[in-house]
Amino acid sequence: MAGPGAGEQAMEDERSFSDICGGRLALHRRYYSPYCLEFCLSCPRISLRSLTAVTCTVWLAAYGLFTLCENSMILSAAIFITLLGLLGYLHFVKIDHETLLIIDSLGIQMTSSYASGKESTTFIEMGKVKDVIINEAIYMKVIYYLCILLKDPVEPHGISQVVPIFQSAKPRLDCLIEVYRSCQEILAHQKATSASP
Amino acid sequence: WCLSLTTSSIPDCLSKAPPPNPPHWGLGFQVLYLVWAFIPESWLNSLGLTYWPQKYWAVALPVYLLITVFIGYVLLFGVNMMSTSPLDSIHNITDNYAKNQQHKKDQEEAIPALRDIPISEVNQMFFLEAK
Repeated sequence: MAGPGAGEQAMEDERSFSDICGGRLALHRRYYSPYCLEFCLSCPRISLRSLTAVTCTVWLAAYGLFTLCENSMILSAAIFITLLGLLGYLHFVKIDHETLLIIDSLGIQMTSSYASGKESTTFIEMGKVKDVIINEAIYMKVIYYLCILLKDPVEPHGISQVVPIFQSAKPRLDCLIEVYRSCQEILAHQKATSASP
Repeated sequence: WCLSLTTSSIPDCLSKAPPPNPPHWGLGFQVLYLVWAFIPESWLNSLGLTYWPQKYWAVALPVYLLITVFIGYVLLFGVNMMSTSPLDSIHNITDNYAKNQQHKKDQEEAIPALRDIPISEVNQMFFLEAK
């Protein structure tokens, strides 16, 4: 857990946590330098059980409609819909892993990788970042979530926007505390170096 | 000694029976509703009272009222869910009252005044100093 010292190699460690629904998450942390850090949170894969359950319900419903209507197009339409639905789900909905990269002089980058390989990235420059906090909110029940507070250009101590991170993985508080502590170290260092030009 | 003390301490108004309630206006409307619902049309017509609403409504209106009550429960739950702010809303962090609060000077040896502590400080207290 110590810094890399004089070596050039990145330090890595991996720990296992759970999300708010009870699924297993893997938190993979890499130190590229003392103040450049990457967190990668892997979500649980799509389970065979849920896939077969959805497919069976769709096909049974289609077969029920077919016995009512005697039109065989319904069966082929059901197969088509199942395939397209699965592809669409993997490409647009199911997230495989989420990454948070903090570089103290540059900014914070969040990447979401979908199960089909698609990646969507958001970058926030360090000048806009006010703080990274753990907040509690109501989302069907009370959950803890990590978010980035952005500075208000008009008011020095105000908050203009809240950007939640790890939205799809939804880890529990123990994982969030790990990420929060590391982020606060880097932010404290960044504030110290920016305050003394 | 003890018994006499407890019996004498009961106030007089509780030992007597409560006075009967005076009749209120709702009673008249209830009697009218029952008369309209139960007495057959022909008897009312013979009395000369011909212009009543249909007796269908004597059953329909209570049913409508009950359904409205049940749907009201569902609607209230739905309104609650819709008013919950999303996770990226600024209202989860602060609001106008917290932004405009006055900061009182701390007095010596006194409990500090009640105020809304910013979320960054709260986080540092909870999560950073617990090691």
